[in-house]
This record gives sequence, C-alpha cells and structure tokens, in this order.
Amino acid sequence: MEYLSSGKILIVDLASSETREEELEEELISRKIGGAGVTTHLYNLYKSHDPIVVGSGLLTGTLFPASDLSILTAKSPVTGTLCHCPVTLKAGIEFKYCGFDYLVVLGTSAKPVFLWIHDGVADISSAEEAWGKDVWQTTDLWRKDMGDDLIQTLVIGKAGEMRSDLAQVSVNYWGSGDVWGFGRLFGERRLKGIAMRGMGLLEIANPEGFVESSKKLLSAVKTGAWKGKAGLVDILSSIGEKDEADWIAPLVHRNSSSYNVPYAGNTFLYLDEDPSLLKEPQGAEPGLLLTSPYGLLAAKALGLSASDSLRLMRSCCRYGVDPEMVALAAFRDGKKTREEIEGSFGLLERKGDIPWKQPFSPMCPQKPMFADFSVGGDPKQIEKWWLRRQALAYVFGVDPLFAGMSPELTAESMIEAVRIGSGIDISEDALDGLIGELCG
Amino acid sequence: MLFQRAKAISHLMENQADISPRWLGCAFEGAVARVGTFSRYPRMGIYVGGGSSHSWLWFVEVFERQGLWDLCFLDEDDLKAGALGDVNALAVSGGDTFGLAGSLGREGAAALKGFIEGGGVYLGSCAGAYLPMSSSKNPLNLFNFVDVKIANLTKALPPALRLKDKFSTPYGCQYVFHPIREEVCLGIDQHSHLSTMQFITAPLYGGPAMLPGESCRVIARYHAFTEKTVFLTEDEMCRNTLLDKAAVVRCPLGRGCIYLFGPHLEHPCYLEANRMVGEILALETGVELKNWSRSREKRAGRIPLKKSSMGDLRGELSNARIVAAGMEFLPVRWTIGAKVYEPEKICVFLEAMWRRISLLQESGFIPAEMGELLSLARYTTRLLREIKAAVDKGGQSDFLAGELFCVLREYAASFLSGYFQALKSMDKQQGCLAPSGVKRLSRGFA
Repeated sequence: MEYLSSGKILIVDLASSETREEELEEELISRKIGGAGVTTHLYNLYKSHDPIVVGSGLLTGTLFPASDLSILTAKSPVTGTLCHCPVTLKAGIEFKYCGFDYLVVLGTSAKPVFLWIHDGVADISSAEEAWGKDVWQTTDLWRKDMGDDLIQTLVIGKAGEMRSDLAQVSVNYWGSGDVWGFGRLFGERRLKGIAMRGMGLLEIANPEGFVESSKKLLSAVKTGAWKGKAGLVDILSSIGEKDEADWIAPLVHRNSSSYNVPYAGNTFLYLDEDPSLLKEPQGAEPGLLLTSPYGLLAAKALGLSASDSLRLMRSCCRYGVDPEMVALAAFRDGKKTREEIEGSFGLLERKGDIPWKQPFSPMCPQKPMFADFSVGGDPKQIEKWWLRRQALAYVFGVDPLFAGMSPELTAESMIEAVRIGSGIDISEDALDGLIGELCG
Repeated sequence: MLFQRAKAISHLMENQADISPRWLGCAFEGAVARVGTFSRYPRMGIYVGGGSSHSWLWFVEVFERQGLWDLCFLDEDDLKAGALGDVNALAVSGGDTFGLAGSLGREGAAALKGFIEGGGVYLGSCAGAYLPMSSSKNPLNLFNFVDVKIANLTKALPPALRLKDKFSTPYGCQYVFHPIREEVCLGIDQHSHLSTMQFITAPLYGGPAMLPGESCRVIARYHAFTEKTVFLTEDEMCRNTLLDKAAVVRCPLGRGCIYLFGPHLEHPCYLEANRMVGEILALETGVELKNWSRSREKRAGRIPLKKSSMGDLRGELSNARIVAAGMEFLPVRWTIGAKVYEPEKICVFLEAMWRRISLLQESGFIPAEMGELLSLARYTTRLLREIKAAVDKGGQSDFLAGELFCVLREYAASFLSGYFQALKSMDKQQGCLAPSGVKRLSRGFA
C-alpha cells in the first residue's frame, strides 16, 4: 500500500517479546477496505492466538471530515463474540501516524509490559513501575518518562490488572467505548497499555484533488442540522433526554472535538472549580471529560446527584472501569451512595449482565441525532440504519458519533475519497458485502 | 527507497530536455532543485566544532544534493591536528563567532591560514563569515585574514522593534546589530563569472553586511527586501545599513581564497542560492559541474546488517525527535555563549539524521563506530528528557542544553560520516565514483 497508509502491519508476540513487520498488501485492502474490515480479517488469521488487533481506516488522520477513528478489535471475554471498540480523541490518528496501519498482539507476557510504538519502531517495554497505578498515573508516568505530553495511550487501570469483567481500555485519561471488558483482556496478557507517538506523513495519490474534495464535503457537512449545537448536552436533548441535559448543563466548562470532527462532541465538566472559570484552574485536574452520555444516564438512574454522578464517573476513569456497567452492578447489589460504589470497585461483577449484543460500541446513540436520515420510526429499521452507519465509520476511520448526525457523510463520499487518495476503486457491492459480514 | 533519488533524476533528465545541460535539475525530498551536480568529488570539510550551531547541516544538505559525498566533519581538534591537509574546501557556517574563534584559538587560526594559503577554499557563512574579517577583539584578532569590515556595527544601538535577543551582540564598546532577519534579495555582480542570474534570494540570520577592501571582490550585494523580510528596527536604518553593501565577497589569500556569505546561501530552501555555492566550488576546486552521471540503479553489495544495532539507533533517534518536537511548543530558549538557541534547532540536527536513516538502513552499511554512535544517541535522548523535566518544573536547563548541543554536533557528525561512507561505498562498488582530488587547483578568479 503506497497511499493513505504506512503499508505495514506490526505483529507483537508478548510471550517471546518479539516483534515483526508484515507488508499490508493492496490486494487485502481491495477486499477488506480497511479499519474493522481488516482488523476482523487479521483476527481470523491469528484466531488460534486469540489476538488483540488495533487498526486504522484508510481515511483516518486525513482531511476527510471527522476522520479521527482507529479501532480496537478482539473477542470480548464477556460476550465471547468479536467486537470493535472505537479509539477517538487524538489517539485514533496518533496510531495511524506512528508508522503502522495495524497491530496484532499475540500471547501473554511473563511480566507487565507496555508497547511503545513510535515512528515505525515498536518497543516492548517494562511496565513494572506502572503496574498498580491507575489510568491517570500511568499516562502521566509514560508521558513524563518519554518526555512528551502529546503521547497518546490506550491503557488499563487497576480493574484491568485485577481482570475485572468491568474493566475497560481507557484512552489517555478518559473512558472509552469499551463495554466488552477489553481491559480484562489487556490485564490477562499483562499488557498495561499501548503508548503511541508518530510524526510520520501520509502519501496521497492526488493530494490537490483530495484537499479539494474534502473541503467541498466539509462545506456541505457544515450546513447540517447540528449547526449551532455542541457537546453532550445538546446530544442528550436531541435523543429525548432533556432532563438529563438540564441536569448536567450547569457543570459544563467546555466542549471539544476529536481530531477533525466538526461537532464538538466531548464535554468537559468542572466538579472542583467554578465551571464559568475562563483561566487556568488552580487544581491539576478539576473535572472530567465525557465522550459518551450513557455512563452518566446510568449513574443518574441510581438516584445520585449530578455532582456525585460525575465524581463517580471520574473515579471510574481512574480505576479503568466502564461506568455504565458499574452503575448496573451497583444497582443490582443495592449500593446507593457514591462512596459505597467506589469502595466496591474491586468486587463488582457483571453476573451475566450483557445488555449489548452488537459488534459496535453503544457509546453512540442508537438513533439519528439532530438530522433526519429518512429512517422512519420502525425500531428494526432504526437498528439497521445504525449498524450500517457504524460499520461505515469503523471501516473507513470516521468518527462514529458524527456518523450518526451527518447524513452528508455518505458511503459514496467515503469511496470517492479513497479513490482520490489512494487510487483504489471500491465498488459499492464490495462495501455492502463487507458491511454485511461485519454486522453479522 | 534506496534509489528513489537517482530515479527522480533520471526522470527529470528524460523530461526536462529544455533545461541547460549544465544545470540539469535533480530532485530530492520532493523538490525540483536545479543545483547542478559534480562529475567528481572535491573533498569537502565541514566545521562542526565549538561555536558552530546547527546551520552546518544545511551545507551537508546542499553538498549531498550536488553529489558531493566526500565529506568530512571536522572539529577544532581535527583542524589543529592537520586534518585540513586532506580537504579541498572548508565550510564554516553559523554560530557564535567568538565561540568559533575561542575554540580554534591560535593553533586553529594558524592551521586555517596555512590551509587557505596553500590553495584551500574557505566558505564562511554568517558567523563563519565574521570569523576571518578584520577585528581588534580578542580572540577574533587571531583571524585577521581579509580586508573586510563589518557594516552593521554601531556605538549607538537603534531601537529593537522585535526579537530583541536576536537583534544585537556586544562587540567591545560597540554592537554588531542585525536590522533584519529572514529573506533578502541579492543583486549578483554580472562580471562575477558565477551565475547568469541577476538576482537571488537567501535568508539572513545575523550574518554581516560587508565593506571590503580593494583586494576583495564583491560577488553580490544586498539589493532589496522581500515580503518575507522581518524588520527588527526602523525601515530607514535597515536600508541604510544593508542595501548596496556587500553580501557575498571573495578575497584571495596566498594560493587559496576566502568566500564570505552574509546570508545563508547554503539554506536548503533557497535553491538558486545553493546553485551559487555549487558554482563557486566548481570554479575554485577545478572540478566540472555537469549532468548527473552516476548510476545507482544497482544496489551495492550488501554488508551483513546487524539489525538490532541499526534498529536501536532508529529507535533512539525517534525517541529523541519526539521529545524535541514536543519541546517546540514550550516557551523556552537557552543562551549558550553569545547565542540564543531555541528547541527548533535541536530538531534540525535530529531531522537531518532521521531523513537519512532509512537509506542507511537499506544500504546495509554499518558505520565503523556504531557502538559510539549508539551511545551518543542514547545520551542525547537522556539529555533531552532531563531538559524537558527541568523545563516542566520551571527549573534551569541552560547547562543541560549547552551539553546537549555539543553532543548533538558530535552525534550528527558521526552519523553523517557513516552515511556518506555508505553512499561512497555504494558508488565505488559500481565503479562510478571518481577519485577525490586533494590537489588544489585554484582558478576562476585567481
């Protein structure tokens, strides 16, 4: 692969501490396109090793609107099925630029390790010092040790180390779309995390054409129904959760975007300082960043105040557990206060609660946001629509949240961008076939 | 790819027949550069010792483009030990002039003078241009080789409108001041035999405006400012200080000669200026610039690759450039000697190596001093991380930065020595490399 790609697959064997590279063949791309298509293929190729696969889409990290996504693919230790976790914020593109399009992790390490992937170099490094530290401490430690605050991490906290079903792989400091216990998988392999930093460049087959078509598409996207909206408050309102939107609105400090995503879908809330503060806060970390509304909704359902719900979610971020699953388990176990729940993080279990059967993360609302996608009101049609939109996003490397609010990002626009950017023609039939495979 | 550049050149040769054969273009790093290439090598020395900053790497870039691969990297100890006897020309780029003179000292000055008088060519750019000019200040007075005075010298410093720490340097009871930075337009003397061009542009980063004596010849003068010129003081002062003053000067010394460049003609983004450097070398070293003639289509015989050591070097280089790139966002700068250094300058060293490491890896060539190179690489990363930690804590890092820039010079020089050895090795195995000539043939203006 010459364009939109580094052309390399990294294979890491934790058992032998060896790494090797394989070429990413254009023939594979013509069949599986990229993103979840290729991560699924690689999973099946190494199935006997039960691998953890990370991958990016052909459009990840480009100027194509909302191209922030990489994907973590593995068999969930909870559901036993193959699932895909979105990697957004700035971590998705960092993976793309660190020199490999795909990473396949095999085996189990004898000692705690982390992967340090940078500029086409892969180091398996000791994580002895980080083992036992929470998500925030670990990310801080690696950034300090390696001397760069821009290093992006996929990391587990104590929950993962303890192999909890509720453990999730966090992105830098914050929760992710991992509802499948991938954090436990990392812990079982003694893989504390993956640190990424890359200063590579992408080659584009027709750079001027690519920039021009991306600009044109962005102009169209920006006229969307989400115009003038921002953050999780407006998302909650758009999906009919107005009460919850009003509940957190007073704590919102700011909204921010993941890489190149036109909608500022991540919301930072202040807990320890005045949310109206427009200067640097006194404390090192006065609040938390939310990338999905569902943990919050579950915490509210427990009867916690907004402040306590958010404090609980912040504790979940540090401990590396999925807040929605924590709330469900706490409800089942009769734990009612924040302190009670936080005190039992190490004891909470799923006990068969698997509320989600789809291969894509439920971090994105399962209905259209703001825009009218002409889906109608039939729940089955809505589910079908959602699965297809998510599959498209996961294959091409487009933000899955934004895919649910921008009908302008069509399959045709993605196919065209790939054609201009790489010279590879993807037929709609091939794409439909792949989406069918991924959606089961 | 290993032979990507040669292929690019072949492509140009096929498709740009309208270009004068003498200046047939070559393409590197995606740029189409009509800089010309040499049919055989003069042996070039590049000064990388005390007082030099990062800009000697620009000479490396330009020489590499021109096919001048017989490079050696010399510090003050090498000069004092007689290493100039092996080179045809010596390039001394920017840095701290007092630092250069102090490092070379009396012994270095004598070696340098002997080299030039014996027929060597001295190319001095910016600080390297100030060095041999007339001065009564110690230790610069050891290097009074040419009758050229500094025009940008004053007792009454005009007001600095911006970049105050770049604006002036104390010079006894006077100041050397720099009215502008960045791009400036030079008018070429039409009798210089150097170029058919009338004007070229080049960047000025503290280099001199010159007042040459009768024995020297002006090759180019500061002609005008451009849209990219950054004015550090009032317009009138800028015009009066620079315009019509000498920007490029040639001064004979014994059988050799000295070229003084006020602006950095070797800056890799200024291809026409680079071409002028090539023309000067062609004239002065008696080699002929002509079409690219070396075929590197066949891969050189492979020397067994110790993957781990070269891979380790790549990994360390990446670690270092990641820290250095992150530091570019920090509001930090260091005063080392009389010169201010920013984090970007660290990246210039590291990127010069990073751009070349893939080719070095693919060549299979293992530099003789690989162990030392790896130690330097690891030490560089460690120093960078210590500096970053000190900056984060709000602590002092000047001392560490001083150490870092010394190590970076050594590291880059060692790496590039290996790199050019690899290039030469590949050429020799294909029988395409003409022997380098140390016999000094001064012609052109002589």
